[in-house]
Amino acid sequence: MKLHNYNQRLLNIEQRTKRFLLGAFGAMLLALLLIAIKQDYLVRSTAIYFFAPNAQGLNQGMAVKFIGFKVGSVKEVSMEPNATVRVRVALDDDYVHLIGQDAKARLIKEALVGESVVEIIPGSQQVRQVTQNSVLQFERGQDASSIAESMAAQLQPILSDIRQITASINDPNGDIQQTLKNLNQVTGDLRETVNQFTQLATSGNQKLESVHGKLDKALDSVNANLQVMDKAIPRLVEKADATLDNVQAATSDIQRMTADSAGELPAFIHNSNALVQDSQDMLDGAKRSWPFSGWFSKPEAQVLPADGYVTPEKP
Amino acid sequence: MMDRLRFSASLVLSGVLFLAACGQTAPVRNARLELAAEYSQSGQRAYDRGDYLTALRQYEMALQVDVAVENTLGVAIDMLNLARVNQLLGRVEVAHAYLDKLLLDDALEYGNTYLANAATQKALLMLHQGDVNGARSWLEKASAWCVAECLLESVIDNARAAIALREMDGDQAMHWANRAASASRGDSPLEYANALRHMGEAHLMRGEFSAALRLADEALVLDKSLGLPEKIRQDLLLSARAYEGLGDAEQARRFRARAARIISR
Repeated sequence: MKLHNYNQRLLNIEQRTKRFLLGAFGAMLLALLLIAIKQDYLVRSTAIYFFAPNAQGLNQGMAVKFIGFKVGSVKEVSMEPNATVRVRVALDDDYVHLIGQDAKARLIKEALVGESVVEIIPGSQQVRQVTQNSVLQFERGQDASSIAESMAAQLQPILSDIRQITASINDPNGDIQQTLKNLNQVTGDLRETVNQFTQLATSGNQKLESVHGKLDKALDSVNANLQVMDKAIPRLVEKADATLDNVQAATSDIQRMTADSAGELPAFIHNSNALVQDSQDMLDGAKRSWPFSGWFSKPEAQVLPADGYVTPEKP
Repeated sequence: MMDRLRFSASLVLSGVLFLAACGQTAPVRNARLELAAEYSQSGQRAYDRGDYLTALRQYEMALQVDVAVENTLGVAIDMLNLARVNQLLGRVEVAHAYLDKLLLDDALEYGNTYLANAATQKALLMLHQGDVNGARSWLEKASAWCVAECLLESVIDNARAAIALREMDGDQAMHWANRAASASRGDSPLEYANALRHMGEAHLMRGEFSAALRLADEALVLDKSLGLPEKIRQDLLLSARAYEGLGDAEQARRFRARAARIISR
């Protein structure tokens, strides 16, 4: 009886042990499955590479995104013998056809403070898609720190200028302080000038009255001069008469000279005619000689074009 | 040494050739023929700028000189030109007289080309006067004379188209005008424009107003390029009639107004 009980207990223990081992095995399989899923072992992927000058910001497991969607992850970041960094990326096969060989990998930060991701910048659609072990170009996007550095570098000279200007304004011997002093002085001078101008206007009124008197005197003088001219004009007219007489005499001289040369003029005109005729002959001869003959078109009689249109009777 | 000799020889040869060329003169026409040709050319220049009275005087002087030296070719050309200018000046009888002298002259023998030209002009004059049968008869003669080196085919065909239009035969008019257009396209813009106008008239006769309008437009462009006021006026009137046919009275009125502004000179 005791033996039977003992055997029964052993059998129970064996069954429990079997159940425990099966449960442990199942849990282990489940853990392995989760790990595999987490590591994307169950996803068919294509490995591609890019090379970075340094590994700053690049970590194993970081997401690889394409137009905002996660399409893979960084699998390995390793140093090459030439001191560059090789990064292996596993891309989900479902998206590989969207990425051309000329695509670029860019390391960016998703927000001002946030995780870095590798963004795939699409290339030309015409180019062949990436394949296993393709190598992409890599560039580093600007993160908050680099933007801040850049802004700081640009603001530095501006701040320095502002400091100089402030110092110049505060300097008692500086241009601005001197200008303000001069402006103060000018304002005082202007006030004095206004006072003087008022005095001048007062005295001007007095002088204008005296000028009016002088103008009366000047008009009297003009009247006197006109009387003198009245007397002088008849004498001028007499002189003009004499001048006209001289012109008449000169004209009669010219007439006499023309009459004297009248006998020679026809000969002169005749000679000129002959000269013109000779020139014409020479020109005609030249026009008929090579190479000038080709330059002038010979006058030819031509029939005018006939016109075959007759106006209709009733337009 | 040999090279220098060869160079000298070629230089001398070139000089001799140059002198020979200088010495060669164009064949000389006698002074009267030169004068007649100059009158004729001067007349043509006046004709081209529309100064028909001056052209008339110049051709008359050319004819006097050509008759004096019995230059048959010159006489024929001068008489044809005088007929044409007189026609343009409205002196139809004088034009007929010049053409008759040429066509009925039994003393001098003129070339067939000139006779064909004279017969064509005669036909056109008769057509202007409304003598369709006379025009047809002279056109037959012109066609018979117009054989070798005759450039009057398109003119004769256009005249035939004009006769057909007078007889209200749109199909015949279209046939002759088409022939005229084929013969003159690229050679004579004047006759090509005439043919287009005749075709336009034929289309109007058939009630094809859009086609007529298109041809009138084309003819207008050509006539404007040639600077022919009367032809421009006729093109505008043709367009006006086409618009009337299409029922567009406003456009028709506009084209008639444009035609009325053209002053022939």
